[in-house]
Amino acid sequence: MNDLYAVIVHDVANQLAELSLRLGSRGDAQHEMGVVMNATRRLSGMLLLHRKQNEALSVNPDQVNAGDFVTILAAEHRELFPNLVIEVNDEKAPSLAFFDDALVRMVMANAMYRACLAAHSKVKLSAYERDKMLVLEVADDGQGYPDSLLAEGIKAPSPANKRGAGLALYLAKNIAELHRLEGRHGAVELSNAGGAVFRMILP
Amino acid sequence: MNEGKDLAFNSDIAEKWVMVIDDLEGMRSQLRMSLSSAGFAKLHVVSSIKDALERMKSNRYDVILCDYALGDGTDGQQFLEYLRTNDLITRNTIFVMITAEQGYKKVVAASECAPDDYVLKPFTAAEFNLRLEKLLERQEYFSVIDKATDTKNWGRVIVECDKRLAFKDKNFIDLCKIKCSALMRANRQQDAADLYNEILLLRPIGWAKLGLARALQQLNKTEEATRLAKEIMQETPQFMAAYDFLGKILATSGDKNAALDVLQKAREVSPGTMSRVREMSNLAVSAGKPEMAEEVMRQALQKHKHSPVRQANDYAVLSKALVNQGKSTEALTVVADAQKSFKDDHSTIVLSAIESVAHKAAGNTEKAATALAKAMSFGDMNKLPASTVIALADACFASGKEAEATNLLRHAIQNNQEDAAIRSRVHDVLTAAGKDAAEANEMIETSTREVIQLNNEGVRKAEAGQLEEAITLLCQAADRLPNNEQIVGNAALVIALDLVRNGNNPERLRRCMHYREGFIKKAPNHPKIAQIDAQLKQLK
Repeated sequence: MNDLYAVIVHDVANQLAELSLRLGSRGDAQHEMGVVMNATRRLSGMLLLHRKQNEALSVNPDQVNAGDFVTILAAEHRELFPNLVIEVNDEKAPSLAFFDDALVRMVMANAMYRACLAAHSKVKLSAYERDKMLVLEVADDGQGYPDSLLAEGIKAPSPANKRGAGLALYLAKNIAELHRLEGRHGAVELSNAGGAVFRMILP
Repeated sequence: MNEGKDLAFNSDIAEKWVMVIDDLEGMRSQLRMSLSSAGFAKLHVVSSIKDALERMKSNRYDVILCDYALGDGTDGQQFLEYLRTNDLITRNTIFVMITAEQGYKKVVAASECAPDDYVLKPFTAAEFNLRLEKLLERQEYFSVIDKATDTKNWGRVIVECDKRLAFKDKNFIDLCKIKCSALMRANRQQDAADLYNEILLLRPIGWAKLGLARALQQLNKTEEATRLAKEIMQETPQFMAAYDFLGKILATSGDKNAALDVLQKAREVSPGTMSRVREMSNLAVSAGKPEMAEEVMRQALQKHKHSPVRQANDYAVLSKALVNQGKSTEALTVVADAQKSFKDDHSTIVLSAIESVAHKAAGNTEKAATALAKAMSFGDMNKLPASTVIALADACFASGKEAEATNLLRHAIQNNQEDAAIRSRVHDVLTAAGKDAAEANEMIETSTREVIQLNNEGVRKAEAGQLEEAITLLCQAADRLPNNEQIVGNAALVIALDLVRNGNNPERLRRCMHYREGFIKKAPNHPKIAQIDAQLKQLK
């Protein structure tokens, strides 16, 4: 893969961006918009995977307001899934949080999108502090993660893997782990509790 | 947010002037619709940088939304750099980059020209509007600080930051960042270094590390600064500002080849802004690598073919690189091309000077003389930037006009007494003209000594009570060297002393204010400003 591929991906992303705004102005095409947004993230994910495979994936943490971060993420998904209740809980968010805004945003948007598709009626997005780590958590009231995934953990993506080759979770895990501070590093936790719970934990 | 506040916010945004720059027709119309439905009423939507600049001549915008990949070669980041370096937008203008490039943030992190926010494509209207809302809140929060920044009142910036830092609110880190750069501008490098260290204790953030490196470098701890810059490049290879910084350190220390290596590496990571291209091609010319200068500048000018980010100087450097490779005919073509698009006085001087050099190299002595005469015909050299004066000197040397050339170089040195980069360029021109290093250094040292003696003489006379003589001496010098802080500051001060002692004199007061203004522009935080003002206060 070279720059040419990156240029083509950006071109496609531009076209998809226009498409999603067009769909947005129609008012009845939220579902299609969601598909477009997700497709773009998968393209970016592919570029990131390539970087990861070339050991060129790096993070650049800076200060991010965790409250604003989850509020904006929730607003975006409320627009895409008007029939769902999307709750935000940021009361216990730390006043100062540090992470790579662009990369973590992509990870969390993937997690939100999956949760919204899986949910019956409700998705809860929270930001809070646990053991001096920032936790970004998405919980839905759907079927929960398959037992096999919880048992085996997150693996490298493979064409044999059904759920989108497992790209999103693999990137989530890697991006979390690249966040390091004083001997600690980030992680992704998956569990089931009345639905699926995705946690991205950042130092 | 309660309902009342919501309404207030909505009526506010209807008053905000917004400009959208996007080369894709579909995106333009969609963004227009999205913004209108969010309540923005004063909207200008344009498709190119040219149109944007045209609009900006007659209108002040509160928010600029700019697509990163603009079709005509100049990208949004380069446009932002152009706006900031030419003071075309205030610090309080919200500039948002819209980009499909996931890695965009790293490229601009810690650069002087980072946008206020960036939005990754695709986005929903809800996300976009909420981001704008947060930015407008932020704009309001920072408005007083931004105003002080625009007027370069660093003392005020620091005070206003301190007031807000006490609350430890969500803008804490941003306030620290702004305060740090104000401390640097106010020549309080140690305080800045301390604050950067405090931030780094919270988190090893890239921009804080680079800020610390900058502060250390100015405190003459170059080794530590270099180590930090290398560390950043290692940890985050896309952090472009670290390359530029390290390149500058190396170039200033005289290791031009090492500086070029660093900038070359930067170029491999990201094509870069015009300021890096300029830095690199100038360095390459002076390091005796005209092929590299040619390649870098040609590529950049090709890319920015019809863009306002180009300058006549860029073509002059390219021509110089060509002349140095013996390609004078090509150099003349480049100059002729540039002369078609740059017709202002300053560009004419720069381009005529290099035209003369190229003609001379091509053996057209007469044409060389005509071009040089044209370049020299613009009268007041005192108002020209040093780079132009040096280019003129170079042309004079090429035509065998030693005395004129030396005069010009002396002027460049004396008018920019403390600028190491200018000294280095003067040195380059002298050695290129066949002087040996010792001779070049001697010339530079003599010129510097002369201006120091001149200044000391003026001060001595003032201290001895010979104010009239001091005024004549320092004012003549200040008119000749308007860029020399020492001289201009002292000229303002002696006139102020005279006004207090010998009574008000409107003509003298006007002159004093003129020098004072020039001085503040050059050294906004110089303690001498307070001295001058203390005298002037006694007049009232």
